[in-house]
Order: sequence, then C-alpha cells, then structure tokens
Amino acid sequence: MTTLDVQDLVKDFRIRTGLRGRRLRAVDHVSFTLSPGRTVALVGESGSGKSTIARIIARLERPTAGQVVLNDDDGGRVSDRAYRDHVQMVFQDPFSSLNPFHTVEHHLIRPLLLHGQARTGAEAREKAGDLLERVNLPARDIVHRRPHELSGGQRQRVAIARALAPGAKVIVADEPVSMLDVSIRLGVLNLLARLQREENLAVLYITHDLATARHFSDDILVLYRGRVVERGPADEVILAPRHPYTRLLAAASPDPEARGRSFDIDAAAVVAAGEAPAYDHRIQS
Amino acid sequence: MTDPGPDSSAPRRAVLPRSSPKLVTGLALITAIILFGVTGPLFAGDPDAINDIGLTPPGGGHVLGTTQMGQDVLAQIAYATRGSLYIGVLVGVMATVLSALFGIVGSYAGGVVDEAFSLFSNVMLVIPGLPLVIVISAFVPPEQRGAWTIAVVLAITGWAGSARVLRAQTLTLRNREYVLAARVAGEPAWRIITVEILPNLLPLLASQFVFSVIAAILSEAGLSFLGLGASNSSTLGTMLYYAQNGFALQRGAWWWFAPPGLIIALFGCGLALINFSIDEITNPKLRAVPRRIRRPRREPAPVGRPSQDVVVSVRNLSVTYGNTVRAVKDVSLEVRRGEILGLAGESGSGKTTLAYAINRLHRPPAEVTAGSVTFHHRDGGDTDMLALPSGELRAFRWSQMSVVFQGAMNSLNPVMTIRAQLEDVLTTHRPQLSRSDRRARCARALELVGVDPARLRSYPHELSGGMRQRVMIAMAMLLDPQVMIMDEPTSALDVVVQRGILREILRLRDELGFGIVLITHDLPLLLEVSDRIAVMLGGEIVECAAAEEILARPRHPYTRRLLESFPSLTGERGAFVRTGEATGGAR
Repeated sequence: MTTLDVQDLVKDFRIRTGLRGRRLRAVDHVSFTLSPGRTVALVGESGSGKSTIARIIARLERPTAGQVVLNDDDGGRVSDRAYRDHVQMVFQDPFSSLNPFHTVEHHLIRPLLLHGQARTGAEAREKAGDLLERVNLPARDIVHRRPHELSGGQRQRVAIARALAPGAKVIVADEPVSMLDVSIRLGVLNLLARLQREENLAVLYITHDLATARHFSDDILVLYRGRVVERGPADEVILAPRHPYTRLLAAASPDPEARGRSFDIDAAAVVAAGEAPAYDHRIQS
Repeated sequence: MTDPGPDSSAPRRAVLPRSSPKLVTGLALITAIILFGVTGPLFAGDPDAINDIGLTPPGGGHVLGTTQMGQDVLAQIAYATRGSLYIGVLVGVMATVLSALFGIVGSYAGGVVDEAFSLFSNVMLVIPGLPLVIVISAFVPPEQRGAWTIAVVLAITGWAGSARVLRAQTLTLRNREYVLAARVAGEPAWRIITVEILPNLLPLLASQFVFSVIAAILSEAGLSFLGLGASNSSTLGTMLYYAQNGFALQRGAWWWFAPPGLIIALFGCGLALINFSIDEITNPKLRAVPRRIRRPRREPAPVGRPSQDVVVSVRNLSVTYGNTVRAVKDVSLEVRRGEILGLAGESGSGKTTLAYAINRLHRPPAEVTAGSVTFHHRDGGDTDMLALPSGELRAFRWSQMSVVFQGAMNSLNPVMTIRAQLEDVLTTHRPQLSRSDRRARCARALELVGVDPARLRSYPHELSGGMRQRVMIAMAMLLDPQVMIMDEPTSALDVVVQRGILREILRLRDELGFGIVLITHDLPLLLEVSDRIAVMLGGEIVECAAAEEILARPRHPYTRRLLESFPSLTGERGAFVRTGEATGGAR
C-alpha cells in the first residue's frame, strides 16, 4: 500500500515590491492523505494554492514547513532517491508539456530507462509501445511523431503515459483537461479513472471545475487562499456544501436549468465567505 | 481553445530555415566566398613574391593588378580571405561557447550562480569592446600577436551580448512544462540542459554564431587597419592596412583596396541575409505573408432587412485561409437588437474566424470568398460591411460594432493610464467632444461595468484580471455600439469573477439594447445566459435555435455530444462517470 501523506504543508513566497520584501502565504497548513485506488480532488480558484501543492508533491518546490511522506507497501518511508519512482505528475498544458524538439518515443523511453523499468533501448521501445496502447493511442502510428503532429487530446494521453512510465503509484494531475476541447475532456478523465482502477493508483486531481471534481473523485478539498475551507466525500461537499465559500463557488457555476436567475455575487461577499471557519464533513457531521 | 486555424495543418516546426530568396542569396554569397578562401590559395601564386612591376592595373598577367611591391593582388586576396575566415570562425565558436556557458547554464542553475554569471556578463557588456581590444592588442608584443591571440581577445570582448539573449530565452524555457516534466521524471540537470533545452535554443545559437562571425571579421579588419592585428598572418584587414600605407587611394590604385573591402562587405551582407532567415524560425511572425488585397469574389448583395429588430445579417459567408483551408463554410445568421446570440464550438470550428470576418478584422491569408455581411442601422439605413472602404470601416468598427477579444484584458497598454486609453478612443472617434465631456463619458462607462471611476487614474497592472476585462468591455461600449462581439470574454477568469462580469453584460444589454454575439466553448454558460445558440462544427453552423430548445431537444448529434460533455453539477451521476471510456474517443 503506497500512501502519500501531506502533513501540515506551508509554503511562503517572497514578493519583492521595490526594496521591501513581502511574504505571501500560498499554502497554509494543508494536510491530506492519498491512498491507493482513491482520488482526492483539490478545488479552488486561481491563486488558491492548488498548483503550489502539486509542485511541492512533485518536488519542484520545497515547502516552507510541513512535509510530504511517502510510505511503501510495508509502511516504511520511501527514500528520497526512490521518491520519483512512485510519484509522477500530469501537467495542465499538453501543448507545452511535451518537448517540441523530441518525438513521442523520447518522452516515454527516458523515464523507462531512468527508473529501471527497461534495461536496453530495445526493451524501452517495446515498453513505450505498450504504454501508448494502454492510453488508447495507436503506438506504431504515433511513436515517431513530434508533439505538433498530435491533437491536444493525443498529447495529453502521451503525457499520462509518461507519468505511468516509471511505474508510479501516485499521480498528481494538475488541471489535466482544462486546456482540452470540451468534447474530449470526459474521455481523458475516464482514461485516468480506468488506469487508476487497473493499477490501483492514488490520484490527486486538481481542478477549478466542481462538476468533474464531484464525478471523478472520492473526496474533495476546497481551497481558498491556501487554506482548506471544506473537505469531505465528493457528493456531500457538492450537494450539501456547508462552507459559505463552497456555496459561492457552486452558485457561480453555470447552470443551464437555472436560466434567468439573479447573478448577485460581489468581491466583498467572497472575502467574507472565505473567512468563515473550515468545515470537515467527516468530523463535524 | 480557439485558434482560428485547424491544428492539423500547423506547419512542421522547422529546425532548418525555410527556403526564401534572402536565404538563397545569402548562402550563395557565403559559399562563394568560403570556396574562394579555401581553394583560392591552392591556385594562386605566392602572395609575397615581389616583382618589379609595382602598381600595375588589372589585366595581363595579373588579373587584379599588383601592389606597390609588385605582389599579385588576387593571390593576396585569396590568402587574406582565408585568414579572415579563419579568425571569424574561431571567434564565432569561442564566443558562442562562452555565451552558452554563461547564458544557459547560469540561468538554468538559477539563484546565486545566475546572479553571479549575469553580473559578470553585464560587466563585460559595458566594457567598451573596441578600445579594450586596442589596449589588449597594443599590450601584447607584436611578435606574439598571432591569429589566435586576436581571436581570443575578440571572443572575450564579444560574447556578453549573446549571453544575455540566451539567458532571457533560457529563463522562459526552464519554466516550460516539458522541462518541469523532465525534472519530475528525474533527469539529471546536465541532460535537461543539453537534451531538453539546448535543441530548442539551436536557431538562436545559430543566429548568435553568425552574428559573432560578422562582428569578428569586421573588428579584425578594423584592428589590422590600425596596425594592431595579427602580425604573422594575412587577413583582409592587413591588406587594407598595407594599401593605406602604400597610399593606394591617393595614387588611384583602386584594385588594391576595393576588392578586399568588397569581400568584407559581401560576406557581412551574406551572413546578415542568412541571419534574417534564422530569425524567422524563432519568430515566425517575421515571415512575409503574401499580402494580396483582393476584392472578395462575390456579387455586391447587401441583404434587405429581414425584420425590424435584426441588426446584423450574415448570408452564406465563406472564409478561407490561403485557398486551401475553408475555415467558415456558407454560414448564415442574424443578430437581433437586445439579444444574446451564443456561438458555441471547439477549437478549429471557425467561430473566431467568423467573428473576425463579420468585423473584417481577418488578416491575410484569411479571405472572405463568398457571402455578405449587412449591418442594419437603427434609423433604417443598411451598410454592406464587406464593401465599406477602409477609412469608413475604421470609424464604423468601434462606434457601431465593437469587439472584445479573447484575453483582451492583456491587451491594455501597460504604460498608459486607464483614462488615457479610454479617452484615446473618444478623441479618435468623437473629436468634437470637449475635454470635460470626454472625462464624464469615460467615468460613466466604467460605472456601467461596475468599476469605481477612481480607477481611471490607475495603470493596468494595478487592476486585477477581472477589472481589466471590465475595462475592456467598458472601452467596447464607449461609443454606444449597436452590436458587441465577445470572443471568450470571461474564459480566462475564475467563475466568481465571470459571474460578476456576466451580470454587468446582461444588465447593460437590458438598459442599452445592443445585440451581443457571445462566443465560447462553455455550452452550459450559453444555455444559461443567451437567447439563441448557434453551434459550429468544422466551419459550419450545424444547429441554431433558442437556448431552451437546444437544451431540451438538441437535433444535431454533435450538439448532443457537446451537451453530454458537461457533467451536471448537482444532477444524477450519468452513466459516463468513471466507468471507462464511453464518451469522447481518441481524437
């Protein structure tokens, strides 16, 4: 059972304004656990700190305080050296997450070789083909293409295959479909869901879209300015939101059934809502 | 999400420059000069052989005449060209390596290393190059001043500018997601720099290399001309130096100094032409687009007013990109006063192209090939948009029909206050207004979109994204247009902010009664706010009906597919959810 524990994470950024420095708290004491077969959704607006959390988990940033602990099957802590064998990330923009200079094959062979999933080039090429088949891409047709010869959906599938290549058990998906055309978004999300079932993956799904968060995750954490304001099982958080900020987000989502409803939301209401104490459905209900 | 051209036809990302007259001319010049420099000395006689026929004009035994000492000018030029090329390439290689080291490695490493490297390059940059070269050259005794010494001196003084350019480019590349992905994959830093970043810098490096070769050949010529060049080698510069000392100009011996000068000029010209072509790889916008201002092939057929409340009629409009890609095919639609017409579609569906074409904002190679766009004025007149002369079109665009572009909030001028930018529109279109009237209208426009008029004094960076977008909408409404076209006006914004802006748009529509074309991929949003919805697919409108109708009884399969793509927030869990890939296949 590979589980990832995010413990009391804090991240401060220093902002230079003229000569003086100012501190911005991007992540404010956030804790949660990712366990196999389960998806946790981090929901929030831009600037809520959700991408910063993803980058800390992917070790692209160091936390100011708190830690991310990865435990392997026996419950022992995974060493830093092996961390990236287990934790991988799918980025938001499939148009920039693949190197325009390299072929699809390069993007898959490198992680396979780096993480000991393949010893020789030939073995890596074969496994790269298998990975492409698993994300529903015609391997033979696509493996020598460069990113610009693929559609957005195909690129994101390659990016997912790349994240799986090291044999990762924890996948951080940072807005994996928000840059894709709407008609292919569900396809990619369903692909992730299928791979999760097959591999018993732990998934962190980061999004600003409440609807897909509800349908594609088990638990939802709502973030506002780096703080978790509400957390709980997906349906409870969305269908019976208890925190005013979550209610605000839900009310602001477009709703075809609610034509002609009033639109009154102002900035002051958002700030006031964000200040309310956090709500945890599992503890407080 | 709405790039106008279809993705599949995107040009192959070039590593080599595209063939163009510039490139061919440049390559021809350079190849000729290099061939001459490399093979010339093999055929030419001894350049130093002294003869007693000093200063013979060209002709006879000496094709390019002789020098004062009776040396053959052609032979001298052959050797001098080789010498100059040698120094140019040496300096080019050394300067490029140095600039790559300090520019790329420093900025990738970041932190203290970057600060130190960057400081060092900046210091090297402000040291005036040529004077330093003169001092260093003068300091090294002439007998030790070989081609290598000169090359090293020129390289040391010439790399810093390139390093800064490379640093800036690397700073953007190192935050690209593919570099982050390589870090997450566990690639070592040296491999990320050489395999992931460097290839994407190749065009830039090539251009910097070419540039430093030109600079080196010119500087060396300058140094040699001053007598500070390499002592034991002959270059074009040393040739000019001897010509000067031999009073070639005064004696009218043009064949002595003109050929070396010409070769320097042609070589610089050739490299510059090649550099233009390389620049076009890094910046495709520099590519010359064939600008054919061609009248659309169509009958001048402004459409009569279908009914009193229609403000724009589009009839059978087709737009093509360069005669091959038909981005908009035979589209007809009407916009009515006081209505919101939603235009839904995905990338490549042609919705943005259509919006641009209605306003004639499309640029070559896009071209309207058929159809008409007619604007019906409130007072009864009709205007054929596609026949409007460009001067009238400009006046028409903002005052009758305005556009809010996708990501418009980033198109405010960062160095002008909001007031200056709003007033600019008024001084252009309503020159008769007094200063106080202008100010009052600007303040009123901001109030309309729910921004405090005190913000008129602000600069764009002092406003949030939502406020900037509101300012853009205020600007679009400033002249009280009858139609507003909005291309993804809120897509880049958070839902809460989006709500606020939509509320203002709806309120203004009710107050002022203009027609709105709202273009977005967000179908649920359109279903909630618009009156009618047109669904675009592959350049065609596949369905156009009232919003309620689209929601309740979508006719076209694509409309149904789009509707199914948005899971309901609060409704039943659909069958598609986490069950596998039932909807949307690989595309």
